[in-house]
Amino acid sequence: MSKKLLCLMLFLQLLFLVACSEREKKVPLEDVGMVGIIAFDYIDKDSMKLTVAIPQYSPEAQRSTQTFTVVTDLVSNGIVEIEKLSDKKIVFNQLRVVLFNEEFARQGNVRKVIQHLYRNAEVGNKVLIAIVKEKGEEMLKYNYPDKPNINFYLNDLLQPSINTAFNPNTNIHDFMYTITNPVYDPIIPFVDKNSDKIEIKGIAVFKGNQMFELINPKEALIIQAIQGRKNLAPLDITMEQGHGKEKLLIDLVENDVHIKSNKSMTLPKLTISIEIKGTLSEYKGERENDLFTTESLAELEKDVNKELEQDIKKFLDKLNEWQVDPSGISEYFRMYYYGKWTTEKKREIVSKVAIDVHVKTSIISTGTLK
Amino acid sequence: MSTDKSKRKLLNPYHVVFLAQSVMIGTGILSLPQQLSSLGYSQAFMPLLFGVIASVTLYPMIWINSKYPNENLFRINEILLGKWLGKFINLFFVIQFIIFIAGIISNYMHLIQSTALQEQTITGPVLCFLLLLVYIVSGGIKSIARFCILTFFLTIGMVYFTHWAFEKGDFSHFLPLYNFFSVHDFYEAIKRGYLSILGYELIMFYFPYIVDQKKAYRHTLIGIWISILICFITTAISVMYYSEWQLENVEFSVLNLFKAGEFSFIERIDIFGITLWVFLILSTVAAYLWCAKKGVDSLLSKKSNAYLYILAIIIFFVVKMPFSRDFQEKLFYGANYVAYMLILWPILLIMVYALRKKKQVQL
Repeated sequence: MSKKLLCLMLFLQLLFLVACSEREKKVPLEDVGMVGIIAFDYIDKDSMKLTVAIPQYSPEAQRSTQTFTVVTDLVSNGIVEIEKLSDKKIVFNQLRVVLFNEEFARQGNVRKVIQHLYRNAEVGNKVLIAIVKEKGEEMLKYNYPDKPNINFYLNDLLQPSINTAFNPNTNIHDFMYTITNPVYDPIIPFVDKNSDKIEIKGIAVFKGNQMFELINPKEALIIQAIQGRKNLAPLDITMEQGHGKEKLLIDLVENDVHIKSNKSMTLPKLTISIEIKGTLSEYKGERENDLFTTESLAELEKDVNKELEQDIKKFLDKLNEWQVDPSGISEYFRMYYYGKWTTEKKREIVSKVAIDVHVKTSIISTGTLK
Repeated sequence: MSTDKSKRKLLNPYHVVFLAQSVMIGTGILSLPQQLSSLGYSQAFMPLLFGVIASVTLYPMIWINSKYPNENLFRINEILLGKWLGKFINLFFVIQFIIFIAGIISNYMHLIQSTALQEQTITGPVLCFLLLLVYIVSGGIKSIARFCILTFFLTIGMVYFTHWAFEKGDFSHFLPLYNFFSVHDFYEAIKRGYLSILGYELIMFYFPYIVDQKKAYRHTLIGIWISILICFITTAISVMYYSEWQLENVEFSVLNLFKAGEFSFIERIDIFGITLWVFLILSTVAAYLWCAKKGVDSLLSKKSNAYLYILAIIIFFVVKMPFSRDFQEKLFYGANYVAYMLILWPILLIMVYALRKKKQVQL
């Protein structure tokens, strides 16, 4: 009996004591500003301009996105400043895209900023990174007349689709992985505002911590092919192999790559064999009217092989001259090297390596028309 | 007395397998790749080595227990080392268990606080956790064993969440094999990593309750190797997915492995993982708390359920103690060394046993 009484007393006490507890301040959802895009613009060595875009859900608002810009030295400091300007509590749970302007990528410390976001538990690892030609702030503040919201627009644009599969679609994990891994140099898509649209102009290749060069999407496709990606974007080939100027497009490309190194650090040599399979979707040139037999197709395949081999070799030689390795070919030497692998070793290998490329193309079909 | 004894035999082979298995997997595995990171990419096969060490050290434990089939280690200590020395050692173990439990809970709560509940204090969650813990432990060793079986089947599905990381990872990271030279690195990895697979040594305390004691070694071994396999999968996929810098610096690398994937309907799978992890923590801590309670029983030579509550309160205060994080870390770290001692303890006991036997023969 007394036990029951005790329980009752305890229960009653707890019931009344609830009022004494300190109420934790919980912010209701409509008062939370979920940052969708964050952009960094370079000012000088110590400061940067930080812009955030927050989707605006209030029906009365004229614009669908709130943007805030502050000048700051630390990322978190900037967020605190933005919180002072904003009517909402700023959170990063919905962050989708991080932008850096070109100057920041060339001068500033992209790694430091990304590492800060990587550490933050609110931020997922799938946040995409891109580099903006002029100013990130401008890109976010511009009113795109036919797009509902910059937050979704930019995110969708940077997501890979099969036709933009060349897009390396670098997210926070990929960037941290490639920048901390001494066999890689990071690559990040490079976008520019083109009147009312945003366009992926190319791919920025980093050398160490800084952005080094810009390569075109077609070259980035080669990087992806060497990294062993199975499905590639349509191959657009222009060639001159004894039949005048020819243009063709191979669609639905399936890729299979084998890379072998000779395991030598002094005389490094790499053999890359690439097998691609695809449909010939369009052809323009001299042979247009006699591509109906298997013999003529085999002939064409041979020419394509030659052309691709030359293209790939030329591109890889260019990378070796720059001493950067975005496709991670030095991994094939690290695999056989006992001891600690360093970035210097990568640069050394890449500058010395002799590359042999073999391409085997097979055109499976030419579409449904005979 | 005889009815009492037959009642004590509670654990069937399945219970034994999963008691060993579930107790081994706690918070340790969450940061196992980081603990082993002094070896870099070569860490992938360390869990297999740990498995071998565990299988070898398990044997003396079972052997000494099989000499006293109805006594747990606390009693064996008293029998072999004399009442006072035995009790002193037992007290030592009980304190170690308490700190060890507090360490695991504090580690998990630290994780919860830094990822899931950033704007809350952890007092509430710790209290709820301890209440649940006391509830499980008060059911006795069989209820813990059943909870372990439940835990295994509830959480084994999480292995599936690592497949995105597996797909994205690079097999070439495994090469070159055994790429380390310094003995110091190797020692460091064993010292820090072995902790993650502790838990099987508790068999010395629940051995008297096992029905088929002759096969206990085999059953425990099955449990150990299930856990080792899970540890191996974890480290292997981490090695494939991360760079060496990431292995060293990402604290809860397993959760980051979960982050690699996404379903169309749920994005942050790591949060899902953290919350499911509470089962693994509970099963580990429950077994340790049960042992600690047995220890108190033997110290005070009187059984009472109140000890369980007192222990829970002590643990609560150790977790919430007002000392600096640095001191706490050192304390938990110290407790880990004692845990290693516990693994080697049966070897000493065997020596004492052999000496005593000799003496008896001489007499």
